Amino acid sequence: MSTMFELRDLTAAVPGEAGPVRLVEDVSLQVQAGETLAIVGESGSGKTVTFTSALGLLPKPGRVIAGQALLEGEDLLQLSPEDLRRRRGARIGMVFQDPLTGLNPVFRIGDQISEVLRAHLPISRAEARERAIALLARVQIPDPARRVDDYPHQFSGGMRQRVLIAMAIALGPRVLIADEPTTALDVTVQAQILDLLTDLRQADGMAMVLITHDLGVVARQADRVAVMYAGRVVETGLVEEVFRAPRHPYTISLFRSIPDLESPAGAKLAPISGAPPDPARRPAGCAFAPRCFAVEESAGCLRDRPALNADPHAVACHRAGMLGPAP
Amino acid sequence: MIRYLARCAAQFAVALVGIVTVAFFLMRAIPGDPALYMLGDFATAEALATLRARLGLDLPVWQQYGVFLLRAAQGDMGVSVVTGQSALAEIWAAVPPSATLAVAGMMIAICFGVPLGIIAAVRQGSAVDLAVMLLALGGISFPVFWLGLVAILTLSHALGIFPALGATSEPGFWKGLHHLALPALVLGLSVAAYIARLTRSAMLEILGQDFIRVARAMGVPERRIVWHLAFRNALIPVLAVIGVTFAWSLGNAILVEAVFSRPGLGSTILKAILSRDYQLVQAGVLVLAAAVVLLNTALDLIYGAIDPRLRRT
Amino acid sequence: MTARTEAEEALEDNAARKRATVRRYLRHPSFMIGAIGIGLLLLVALFAPWISPHSPTRTDLMNTLSQPSATYWLGTDQFGRCVLSRLIHGAQVSLQVGFFVVLISLSAGTLLGAVAGYAGGFVERALVAIIDILLAFPSFLLALALVAARGNTLDSIIIAVAIAYTPRVAAVMRSVVLTIRPRPFIEASRAIGLSTWTIIIRHVIPNALPPVIVVATVSAATAILAEAGLSFLGLGVQPPTPTWGNVIAEGQTAITTNPLISLSAGLCIAFTVIVLNLLGDGLRDTLDPQMRRNTGKLL
Repeated sequence: MSTMFELRDLTAAVPGEAGPVRLVEDVSLQVQAGETLAIVGESGSGKTVTFTSALGLLPKPGRVIAGQALLEGEDLLQLSPEDLRRRRGARIGMVFQDPLTGLNPVFRIGDQISEVLRAHLPISRAEARERAIALLARVQIPDPARRVDDYPHQFSGGMRQRVLIAMAIALGPRVLIADEPTTALDVTVQAQILDLLTDLRQADGMAMVLITHDLGVVARQADRVAVMYAGRVVETGLVEEVFRAPRHPYTISLFRSIPDLESPAGAKLAPISGAPPDPARRPAGCAFAPRCFAVEESAGCLRDRPALNADPHAVACHRAGMLGPAP
Repeated sequence: MIRYLARCAAQFAVALVGIVTVAFFLMRAIPGDPALYMLGDFATAEALATLRARLGLDLPVWQQYGVFLLRAAQGDMGVSVVTGQSALAEIWAAVPPSATLAVAGMMIAICFGVPLGIIAAVRQGSAVDLAVMLLALGGISFPVFWLGLVAILTLSHALGIFPALGATSEPGFWKGLHHLALPALVLGLSVAAYIARLTRSAMLEILGQDFIRVARAMGVPERRIVWHLAFRNALIPVLAVIGVTFAWSLGNAILVEAVFSRPGLGSTILKAILSRDYQLVQAGVLVLAAAVVLLNTALDLIYGAIDPRLRRT
Repeated sequence: MTARTEAEEALEDNAARKRATVRRYLRHPSFMIGAIGIGLLLLVALFAPWISPHSPTRTDLMNTLSQPSATYWLGTDQFGRCVLSRLIHGAQVSLQVGFFVVLISLSAGTLLGAVAGYAGGFVERALVAIIDILLAFPSFLLALALVAARGNTLDSIIIAVAIAYTPRVAAVMRSVVLTIRPRPFIEASRAIGLSTWTIIIRHVIPNALPPVIVVATVSAATAILAEAGLSFLGLGVQPPTPTWGNVIAEGQTAITTNPLISLSAGLCIAFTVIVLNLLGDGLRDTLDPQMRRNTGKLL
């Protein structure tokens, strides 16, 4: 397998009153062809920022201050804005969270897909329209030749997400980043969209990054998972391994906080107490220390920021070696 | 679509009746006797009674309103007290020069205001943005008649590029255009300032929308995003501003016509006011309000063409 | 950890927030320029009789249309009156018009807009229709017609301009109220059985006040421009009482030889309008970032 997309020590920040505020810090990830990497974490943990900054889409005044974002070995962050634009949409696609606001309300569906095609390919309007219809068919929209002339408000949420997926895969990208593609949708529609994404990934051999906070989705769809907390990756590995034996106290707490079909009825859930730290006021040591059940001053939890170790199932925790398998 | 057209037409009709009604009651809500006002304090009782009867002022208010509405529907706005001509005909004769000025001014305003507003929004916080916003602040802060005087002083008196008179009796399209240039420029630039400010804020809001982020993520070129994808969305607020500024620019046109001694509705209405020609003033106010309503109805139709969501309701 | 009660912390928080608010105002350049500018104008208008070098109406027939000199800093007009003194006294008319028009049109417009935005049903529809129709009349023209019918004393001008511009204030107020209506505390007030009027006066209007304050500054600017326009056309306060508008009109006859007369009067108007707009922008930014949208379309 070849590495399609890789982030190396990516750090992005916004200017703050006391120097830059780091939204994401030293994020290193990679995803192989045909593989799905899930990114898990609470809202505000930097999941979305990581990928928008890698694609040069971070809104001002945010900017990447260190690191690399390698698409098939080429660092996107070194490209000119025009070269980066040519990669975006063509070789790396992105699907966003909210399909209801993601489509332009005053343009026909077909025109919006054509816009993407014509941004990258020297094709005629008629040709672009034909390809738009084929793409709508590919994302399983019934009667695509008629629906191509509809406006977004004539589509349901799930259908709109299909259209946005059609736009993202229009040019056959090697990498597809799906940022909580189902969060805004009905439960019944969620599974259809995820299955569609999996089908497309398998058919084209794309590498996929699936950003989510739903551990159930991770278990069903992903090969590997990276857990993010306060702008950093705190644990990463194969989904089976991480789910079988989570090693970071945050990951462990995350599993304890969700209901589980196998747990007995009436069993108590254990929500994680406290809230993630404000990016401008992260503690000196481990960012999770204030909420951690295993915090230990002598281990350096309050003093040093733990680095992600080099294991295939990597974890960033001073106490990882001392913690047994999850209860 | 046909239902949308029908609804716009119905709204137009209702608005017309509305402005006629408002014009009627507003004029009568004002304390004072129009007949006395017209004839002056030394009028004889008989003359007053005759004029009252002629104006229908001796009838009860509701009856007056009925008569007024009925006559208005037939295009009868009464008779000018000064010339004895039909008030509407007299106003109508003054429309062409004013319409020319208003349209030319609006075109200049749109051609300057919209692109400047968009550029300022795209370059938010830059020196270009600051410059455009300062210019716009100046444009809305200086009285339009003063801008007219400054234009006469500089472009006409000092540089001699354009004539100071806003109209000419000499025939010829280019001659007329030459005289129209200064008034249209002054009227246009003062409206352009508003349009630029509001275009900027509309574009800023739209450039922050999700679908713009999606287009960027899909690699659509920035120029295409701004001038095509975002602009189509900004058109509705921008057109709405044009609709609102139209009423305002008609008010300004009166002042501009005065500065450049250009004939038109401004001078006609002003003369009517000074000679206390009550019927003529009323007809003039009604014609201008009807023009505003007409423009807004046209804009409603255009909104429907731009935004498919509006056609449904 | 030192033992501190929650109340103490809350108090401190509150004080800190107040200090932060004050700092926000002081640091906002538009607000500061606007506030200082308005303050200066008010002082000039209030102390006009004492600070103006001459009487604004005294004619000096030996010195008509004189260029600026040590005696007449801005020169004299065609009757030999001191232009500077006329401008200083002109501030009185402009500021009075601005103040009273805002007072009238804002009270009426706020009430109308609040009712039109909150009442619902027939009352709301009728009021909205009336406001819409009134908006079709060019405000300046309406003011012109009203002044023509009522005469041109200062108070009739104020009333005419106020009536002409009230519909705009009402329209803005309604859009503001529409954003307040769905808020939970309105729902709650209705749930505990407060009457519509009580809710409008005690809850809707107070919550709509920040945008209203911004509207007030912009309306004052518009009113001052309208009065200047009326004066320029000869329908304002009558000469020899100086207004900025009639100084421009009188200066127009000598525009090529003594351009300073009209130019300086125009600069006075523009200065006033600019500082009012800056004050409004500053208030809009500092009072509540959310309301930019509500007042953004104001004319």
